[in-house]
Amino acid sequence: MKIEERRSLGNDETKTIIMTAVTGGAFGLLYGYGFEISLWLGVLIGVLFGIAIGFRISKRPPRMEYPMAMFRRIMLAATFLLLTSFGYSYLLDQNLSQTQQYWVAALPLLGWLLFVVSIGLAIASLDELQRRIQTEAIAIGFAGTAIFVGGYALFQFAGLSDVNVGLVLLAMSVFWLAGKLWTLWRYR
Amino acid sequence: MKSRLKILRAERDWSQAQLAEALGVSRQTINAIETGKYDPSLPLAFKMAKLFESSIEDIFIPDDG
Repeated sequence: MKIEERRSLGNDETKTIIMTAVTGGAFGLLYGYGFEISLWLGVLIGVLFGIAIGFRISKRPPRMEYPMAMFRRIMLAATFLLLTSFGYSYLLDQNLSQTQQYWVAALPLLGWLLFVVSIGLAIASLDELQRRIQTEAIAIGFAGTAIFVGGYALFQFAGLSDVNVGLVLLAMSVFWLAGKLWTLWRYR
Repeated sequence: MKSRLKILRAERDWSQAQLAEALGVSRQTINAIETGKYDPSLPLAFKMAKLFESSIEDIFIPDDG
C-alpha cells in the first residue's frame, strides 16, 4: 500500500473515531440530563463509549455498501438530533411562556429532519439491489409499526396505558431490522 | 430470468468483487444476479453488455425463452 493511501486511510479512521466520540458525548449529555446524573459524567461515559465504537468500526468496518464519509454524516446528523433533544428537555425545564414552549417543542424536529435527510442520502448512494433491500426493509418497518400501533390501540381501549413515543420508535427499529434481515436473506 | 454472467465472468477469470467494482455495484448484487434472485435494471444490464462486449440477450435468458 502506498504511503499516501495509508495516510488517507489513517485520517479516515481518526475522523470516524472523533465523530463517534462526539455523537457518544451528545448521547451521554442527553441521558445524563434525563436520568439526573452529573452531565460531565454522562458526557465522559458517552465519549468513551463513542471512542470504543469508532475504534471498532474503523478497525473492522461492518459490511456497509456506502463509504465511511456517509456514516460520519449520519453520525453528525444524530449528534445534532441528540443536542436539539437535550436543548428541548433543558429549555422546557426553565420557566418559559406558553408560546416559547411551543417554539422549543419544535426544536428536535430540526434534528429529526436532518437525520432523516442523512439516511435518505445514504440510501440514495447505494447500488440498486442495496436500495431495494433498504426500501423493502423500510416498507416492512412501516407496515409492522402500523399494525403494532393499531393493535396497541385496541388494548388501550381494554385498559392498557397510553402508547409511549419511545415504544413506537423501538417498534419501528425492530420491524425495520426484521425487514432488513428478511430481504437480505431473500437476496442472499 | 437466467443469466450467463457467471460463465462470462469465469471466461475472463474475474472474481465477483472485480466485476462488481468494474460495474460500480456491490458484490452482493453480482451474486444475486448470478443466482437468479435479482433481475438487474436496464441501465445495469446495458453496462454489463458493454463490459462483456456482447448484447443483453447474450447475457440474459428469459424464463420462457
